[in-house]
Amino acid sequence: MAPESILLVVVFAALTIYALLGGADFGAGVWEVNTALQASPKERKLLYSAIGPVWEANHVWLIFVLVVTFGAFPMAFAAICQALWLPLLLALGGIVFRGAGYALRSYSSDDRRQQFAWDVVFAVGSTAAPFFLGASVGALASGKLMLTDDGRFDGNFLTGWLSPMAVFSGFFVVVMCTFLAAVFLAREASNLADEELTRIWRQRAIATGIWKGLLSLAGVVYVASDAPQLWDGFRQRSWPLVAGAMAAGFLSLDSLVRERFRIAVGAAAAAVTAVIWGWAVAQYPLLVPPSITVEDAKAPANILWLLIATIALGSLLLVPALGYLFYLFKSGGRER
Amino acid sequence: MPNLVLLASADPAFNLLAARWQMALTLGTHIILAVFGIGMPVLLLAAEWRYLRTGDEIWKALAHRWSHVFAVLFAVGAISGTVLSFELGLLWPEFMRQFGPVIGFAFAMEGFAFFLEAIFVGIYLYGWNRLSKWTHWWCGVPIAISGAASAWFVVTVSSWMSTPRGFRLVDGHAVDIDPLAALLNPSTGPQTVHMLVAAYIVAGFMVAAVYARSLLIDGKCEYSRRAMALGLTMGAVMMPVQFVVGDWAAQSVAQVQPIKLAALEGQFQTQARAPLRIGGLPDAETRTTPYAIEIPGMLSWLGYRDVNAVVKGLDDFPPQDTPPVATVHIAFQIMVGLGVYLLLLSIYAGWFVVRRRRLPEGRWFLKLLVLAGPLSIVALEAGWVVTEVGRQPYLVHGVARTADMVTQAPYVGWLLLATVIIYGAIGAGTIAVLRLLARRELPENARGS
Ligand code: HDD
Ligand code: HEM
Ligand code: HEM
Repeated sequence: MAPESILLVVVFAALTIYALLGGADFGAGVWEVNTALQASPKERKLLYSAIGPVWEANHVWLIFVLVVTFGAFPMAFAAICQALWLPLLLALGGIVFRGAGYALRSYSSDDRRQQFAWDVVFAVGSTAAPFFLGASVGALASGKLMLTDDGRFDGNFLTGWLSPMAVFSGFFVVVMCTFLAAVFLAREASNLADEELTRIWRQRAIATGIWKGLLSLAGVVYVASDAPQLWDGFRQRSWPLVAGAMAAGFLSLDSLVRERFRIAVGAAAAAVTAVIWGWAVAQYPLLVPPSITVEDAKAPANILWLLIATIALGSLLLVPALGYLFYLFKSGGRER
Repeated sequence: MPNLVLLASADPAFNLLAARWQMALTLGTHIILAVFGIGMPVLLLAAEWRYLRTGDEIWKALAHRWSHVFAVLFAVGAISGTVLSFELGLLWPEFMRQFGPVIGFAFAMEGFAFFLEAIFVGIYLYGWNRLSKWTHWWCGVPIAISGAASAWFVVTVSSWMSTPRGFRLVDGHAVDIDPLAALLNPSTGPQTVHMLVAAYIVAGFMVAAVYARSLLIDGKCEYSRRAMALGLTMGAVMMPVQFVVGDWAAQSVAQVQPIKLAALEGQFQTQARAPLRIGGLPDAETRTTPYAIEIPGMLSWLGYRDVNAVVKGLDDFPPQDTPPVATVHIAFQIMVGLGVYLLLLSIYAGWFVVRRRRLPEGRWFLKLLVLAGPLSIVALEAGWVVTEVGRQPYLVHGVARTADMVTQAPYVGWLLLATVIIYGAIGAGTIAVLRLLARRELPENARGS
């Protein structure tokens, strides 16, 4: 396998993990917009404790995607940063507010008014970040960015990224995050054997799951009408993944109805994974449509191999450490 | 105050100015949080270790409370670090395009270090009641190691920008890249070590300053005394080391960045037996540095270990290649001056310990220590101004000019304004939360007398 292909897989794998773990964290924040006003202390506690210990680790996946992309595909990174600077900046703003809100409310006083202020900051940031990250991906996938052949941006810096596909993707990703969060939380509540919370989160998961299904259908229409090149890729290569995404979506809804939460979590994760890889496969070998291919963007081979070696060696440390973290806090372990 | 018309303009010259200020503001903020990320884990581990050895609840209370402080600073540090990762691409896309492959490796390694750090921070902070005591302690060790490692790797990028190695530039593309030569460029040794030692100094003196203040206000309290002792020990032990390392950094600058040395010292004319100038105000018009105390031959000796060595002056370099002299010279004076202050304080404390077998607690000493905390941060920032402004007008020295690398996107001025406001708000929030943490009651058994 060529080194650039290995790294491409690594980047998309990391992006997938970020979408799942970071996405669920974002989603929990979006739910707070709805629940901030009437949530019971118990509900709040579940939300908080689900995010706490793994918060930083989930966030670092994004950093990982960034650094590997710019080490391995510098030209793509530069082009993306130029063309999508505005939505990326807005997403960054969301991440900043969300992080600040989270950190400061966990340790601020028990004064409800102060807590409430940080809650609002947190919830708004949690919604803005996935929306604009999604919009950036949509703008990229639409193939409408005005890039010259040598990969420089030649469009309008304010509006060049805007397209129906970008806006749609923003909404889609927000709904995806809320769905993931609801499914994950339903499972955590059922692990804690808390019937009331399980019922609430199950209902929410089903409701957003139906929304997500409808949006996915709409998504197919958007791709077909707004991103013809991507549509060809879907039809020719990645239709099995798209079909798989739909099937997994149905399975997770079905398992939610039957209260089989483990399967629901697995199927929801599979659906999201299939959507991301469906996109990747459909646009390959383009990295930044319409003009930058993997071949154009890649760094020299010795750098790529060095990165691969680093990642492989680093994983020997990281994977056990991550496993330990999740084992401690996500396997339903009790306090001593 | 930047005026509003300028803010909205897409004038390239203004873009450059705004982008540089943006970079300076966000990096300058991040570095303050980063030094706590490097230094605090060491203090935490020390306190917890003492608790495990002695079973004394005061040490436990210290470690436990510091872990909350660390959590807040770490989270805010992570945010400001994320901002930087985006900013490199958003503000300097040409830089990333041309040199991404050269420095990508260092950033990838930094990324790994963060990852490990973040994982163990999660385990350590939430693991107080889930892990056995010693396991918990050991889970803190990777935090200290990876904090230092991440700083080491990212500073190699900065040292590479000063003395770029390991590539050739052909048609705006870096070719023949040797990532290890880039990583281990001539400035890497002194800069990374100097930065790490600075981190322990700042974290140590800041902690000592906080508790010196509470000793001054609330009177004697065993908890504050130990906290102060721990911080002061770390800072005071590192301070003499920093003098040796700073000298190493200065010699390295003399050898591989002669133009920066000339700016540091306000040396306009090439001269044998060049004097060390203490203070002084470089004047770019008259090409002199008046009002300085001059020690003849000292600069030649410091830079080259020979009082008669020739030091190249700024006038021997093309004018379009010289950095803003006054800023660099003054910043250097501030760093070294504050270094001397911190060193004297450290020596006094050390002497007192040797003579009396305990730390000094006189009111004057405590007052000077309260000052030392913020002043160490000033020294840190001044040092970075020396390094970064001294590299101008290049972003990558001798290779890429800052003006050619900046983004063409409009409204960077607005971005800067928004950043100032947002960082201000987050800074205020952080300080408010830290104050709240400080006011929490100590557990009954940890009050001591
Ligand atoms: C607590 C902070 C602190 C203290 C007390 C000192 N420094 Fe420093 N100095 C730094 C914190 C720092 C820094 C912020 O960490 C810098 C910026 C870049 C770097 O690597 O370290 C730096 C840079 C820096 C440079 C520029 C390196 C370059 O651009 O390649 C020189 C020549 C010195 N220092 C020399 C000294 C000397 C001779 C000191 C003796 C008193 C000294 N520093 C004390
Ligand atoms: C964390 C410590 C750092 C601090 C406090 C710092 C500080 C500064 C300052 C004061 C400037 C403004 C220079 C000017 O106005 O002329 C600047 C510029 C810059 N720094 Fe740093 N710097 C740090 C580390 C780094 C690192 C590790 C990088 C790695 C990429 C970096 C990249 C830049 C860039 C791209 C600019 C803008 C171009 C320029 O004006 O030189 N800095 N930084
Ligand atoms: C030389 C200056 C720098 C030093 C010493 C430094 C050091 C650190 C340290 C110790 C942390 C751990 C978090 C904490 O404890 O607060 C951190 C966080 C971070 N830094 Fe920096 N950093 C520097 C500059 C940069 C630059 C230029 C970037 C841009 C690529 C960057 C990106 C990050 C990121 C993304 C994080 C968050 C990681 C996390 O989530 O844990 N840093 N930095």
